[in-house]
Amino acid sequence: MTGVDEEELAHRASRGEAEAYGILVERHAPMARRVAYAILEDREDADDAAQDGFLSAWQAIGRYDPQKSFRPWLMQIVVNAARDLRRRRRVRTADSLDRVSPASRDDPARVVGDLDLGERLRTALATLPERQRIAVVMFDAEGFSQAEIAGFLGIPEGTVKSDVFHGRRALRKVLESVKEEWDER
Amino acid sequence: MRDDMSPFSAEADPELGEALRSALAPHFAEAFVGRVMTQLAQRQSRSWDEEMAQWFWRGLVAASVAVVLAGWGWTRVSPSPESTEASVASELLDGSRPVADIVIASMSPSTP
Repeated sequence: MTGVDEEELAHRASRGEAEAYGILVERHAPMARRVAYAILEDREDADDAAQDGFLSAWQAIGRYDPQKSFRPWLMQIVVNAARDLRRRRRVRTADSLDRVSPASRDDPARVVGDLDLGERLRTALATLPERQRIAVVMFDAEGFSQAEIAGFLGIPEGTVKSDVFHGRRALRKVLESVKEEWDER
Repeated sequence: MRDDMSPFSAEADPELGEALRSALAPHFAEAFVGRVMTQLAQRQSRSWDEEMAQWFWRGLVAASVAVVLAGWGWTRVSPSPESTEASVASELLDGSRPVADIVIASMSPSTP
């Protein structure tokens, strides 16, 4: 059933076919979990939020318009679920952000010296302001357009452009430093 | 990371994108999907229970209304004591009944 069109799967799910919805969950779970992580910075919270998003989408699937793409529709629900969870766990999130000193926010490459690439990127992401973090992950990693991201976050498209620019610049610094290290070895 | 790519570019950076997807790659993909589908099934069965409960209460309300209506109808159809009394009296006064004169005589105040 892997070749079945997503909108067709969503249509079948709206008629109560849980199996069809299961395929959609399987396809989009990695994206939903990554974006939820970019918002919440905690794997367990991200999984809880992604799960809430999928369950909310199942309940709302009757309102999905099959003329439109399923992916952004689902993404909006997952973003809302993650932001909702973050509001509920604000104290915990604030605590995790406090671990990163204000000085390191100016130069993410400085705080990621001895870590592997994945850890370095995650640490560098944590140094970014939340909106930049979400914008750059959605844009570069998940392939959403800047207009779509603006819609998800309820901000102007120009703001998304600026956030992608600043976030990307900081993360590229980290990538470059890793490349240099690899070249030296 | 493409060297020719400006930070202002409106195109996604494939190398940075790949590195980010790898860095944020979630673990235990199958377990996560299983967890979501289990929750979904539980919600569906709970919805069914809730539906049944809703029908139970609707049925109870309908039955109560039916009982009240039946009671009201029954009191409307049953003869009142006054009408029963009136019909007995008219039957006795009619005189066609065989024992009517005896009954009327027994009720008379002048009878010793």
